[in-house]
Amino acid sequence: MNVYLKNILRFCIIILLQVLILNKITLRWWNEPSGFPIFIPYVYPLFILLLPFETPVWALLIMGFLLGVSIDSFMNTAGMHAFATILLAYLRTNVLSALLPRNLSEYAGQQPSIKSMGWMPFLVYSSFLIVLHHLVFFTIELWNFSNIGFLMLKVLASSVTSMLFIIVYLLLFTKQSTSRI
Amino acid sequence: MRNFIFFIRRFFNLILFLALEIVCVILIEHTNTLQGNDIVSSANTVSGIVYKKQSDVVYYFGLRKMNDSLLNENAILRQKIDRINSSVDTLKDSLVHKKIATADTTTHIVKYADYLYRTARVVNNSTNASDNYITINRGSKDGISKNMAVISGTGVVGRVEHVSAHFASILSVLSAKQRISAKLKNGTNGSVIWDEKSPDVLTMVDVQQDVPLKKGDSVFTSNYSLYFPPDILIGTVVKTQALKKNGLQLIYLQSSTNFHNLQYVYVIENKMAGEKKQLEDSSASKK
Repeated sequence: MNVYLKNILRFCIIILLQVLILNKITLRWWNEPSGFPIFIPYVYPLFILLLPFETPVWALLIMGFLLGVSIDSFMNTAGMHAFATILLAYLRTNVLSALLPRNLSEYAGQQPSIKSMGWMPFLVYSSFLIVLHHLVFFTIELWNFSNIGFLMLKVLASSVTSMLFIIVYLLLFTKQSTSRI
Repeated sequence: MRNFIFFIRRFFNLILFLALEIVCVILIEHTNTLQGNDIVSSANTVSGIVYKKQSDVVYYFGLRKMNDSLLNENAILRQKIDRINSSVDTLKDSLVHKKIATADTTTHIVKYADYLYRTARVVNNSTNASDNYITINRGSKDGISKNMAVISGTGVVGRVEHVSAHFASILSVLSAKQRISAKLKNGTNGSVIWDEKSPDVLTMVDVQQDVPLKKGDSVFTSNYSLYFPPDILIGTVVKTQALKKNGLQLIYLQSSTNFHNLQYVYVIENKMAGEKKQLEDSSASKK
């Protein structure tokens, strides 16, 4: 499938998945009256993470902005998701070139995935950026530094959950090259 | 100038990044004031349409829960209406009683709240046997007991016949065994039975021929019934047939309850039924 078409499709699917399904899931890790923060798993940054290796930074930034604003318009958070997503899009190239053994231009026609990078590098790449995204987003959302512990707990818990959802998404939607007979 | 263009080309990504972040910050700032809320919000067209479609779909999954809650609310409202209708026993306001109740003027107002409504869902239903039974998902653990009256939102359904811990089976009006005390709009009393022909048609007997009737007249439960509250719709008159031998007329009724698609019913407990029945039995045995 054409790479543009594929990514446009993925853009729509990820937004719908995030808005219609994941936003309805409010998770809490255990029930306590004092309240472990309830949170929502955010899977939509995966769209930026999965764009092809050779995507230029300006395109990443603009797509990050579009993605963030779309999510914002659904969640009434005007700009908060966009802010975090643009940061993630800006740092993506640097993180990738730090993690990969060869120059990025040598991976023409490929996209970051478990298959092309291997489990460990991909998990490091995605979890680093997801934690950063969540940290920035929740900081802007709360905008209250009197309770850093609460913020950190929220960031940690929701990044772990988001990562679980991302791994599930990848396992579900990655084409298996070897078919078992 | 050349240096400036060079600078822009060199740091184009960083500049774009900063510009977009500034746009975001401006958006966030706007949201925090009351007026700026509508630049990026779910009130705009695209996300509005998506949310509308979603709620259209999800709506169906919530219908059962919504039905249950509406049903419970209806039961409460019915109970309240009953309380208003029967709270003041006007007979006790008569002269004889007023003389007795001198010290406390409030004693002649008696709160009755005779009837207790419980909601239930129909889990099994038959309309084509000669004695039709309906099974509901409430039993003795929910306070259902034998002989309680059962009505639907539109009219009379039947009477509880057997009770287990979690279920109860109702002998519906569509049964030869069942006889319901009924009255016409003008107060004429009679009985409604079923002639085992069609599940939509009931018959009313014991009405004198000279009682004027039109097609479409309503028939209600009477005040004499031991279990049914008064003034619950049984059906509407379809046609009448004069019986020559005893001067009575046979009235065919269109049943107000649709027994084919019965889903929810109310089970009514008459708290005074036991006392009333005991009294009537004792006076009958003395004869």
